[in-house]
Amino acid sequence: MQKPKLVYSTFIRTTPKQLWAAITKPEFTRQYWGAGVNVSDWKKGSKWEHVFEDEPRTVGITGKVVESVPPKRLVLTWAAPDKLADRSRVTFEIEPLEDMVNLIVTHDQLKAGSAMTKGVSSGWPRVLSSLKSFLETGKGLTLTCGH
Amino acid sequence: MQKPKLVYSTFIRTTPKELWAAITKPEFTRQYWGGATNISDWKKGSKWEHHFEEEADPVFIVGKVLESIPPKRLVISWATPENPKDKSRVTFEIEQVEDMVNLVVTHDQLKSGSPMTKKVSWGWPRVLSSMKSYLETGKGLNIFAGRKKR
Repeated sequence: MQKPKLVYSTFIRTTPKQLWAAITKPEFTRQYWGAGVNVSDWKKGSKWEHVFEDEPRTVGITGKVVESVPPKRLVLTWAAPDKLADRSRVTFEIEPLEDMVNLIVTHDQLKAGSAMTKGVSSGWPRVLSSLKSFLETGKGLTLTCGH
Repeated sequence: MQKPKLVYSTFIRTTPKELWAAITKPEFTRQYWGGATNISDWKKGSKWEHHFEEEADPVFIVGKVLESIPPKRLVISWATPENPKDKSRVTFEIEQVEDMVNLVVTHDQLKSGSPMTKKVSWGWPRVLSSMKSYLETGKGLNIFAGRKKR
């Protein structure tokens, strides 16, 4: 059975640098990504973690930085901490276009019908909508994180 | 070969009524859809047309209103005036979620690899991003940015 591949393309009135910062810097990410932030030095080969900052502090997702070309391209592996072998991959492509940026997020190497696949299928539209609202209006959307 | 089905889900800080108006009222639509408008009385069975008012030949897309439940659900058929029988279908589902609206746009019954499929795959992310910017900031995006002149 073909592995599901989720692709989300959105256009945001921002700059590539601001978009990169929104994804990689906790002081921005926590303003739109529900209770989670992304923690890493963002160098190729480094670890990255999606951390829930409410009490107690928990690591929701973990993985490695596969490619890092700021502010254009970021590729990460993605797995739940208790299921590390069940890895998928997330690619952020950031392309400037006049006064906007086209952000394309691809989440692939997922398992068809898995809880993770269902979770991210529901999550990405919310997170990316909230990211766009944050960059364009200064305020993210209400995201209830199901964790 | 399976017919392509495009599905776009976006969350917008707005109300269902405002979103419905943005899709169906020309004075709003032209502010984010690259100057285009959607013309219809929006009753089931009625004709609808997608107009680019600045063009010499303004009617770009034609179709019928298949379902209309304002402000929750709108289903329209979609074809070019030259090929009205080559129909695809667009569904707008508008659901209130807390202080936002979840808009899910489904474009199906398309022909795999056709120029229309390529065009709408290119267009929908741009139009829907622009719609969200318009509803949240009062200003749409340039949906034609980067496109070669036809």
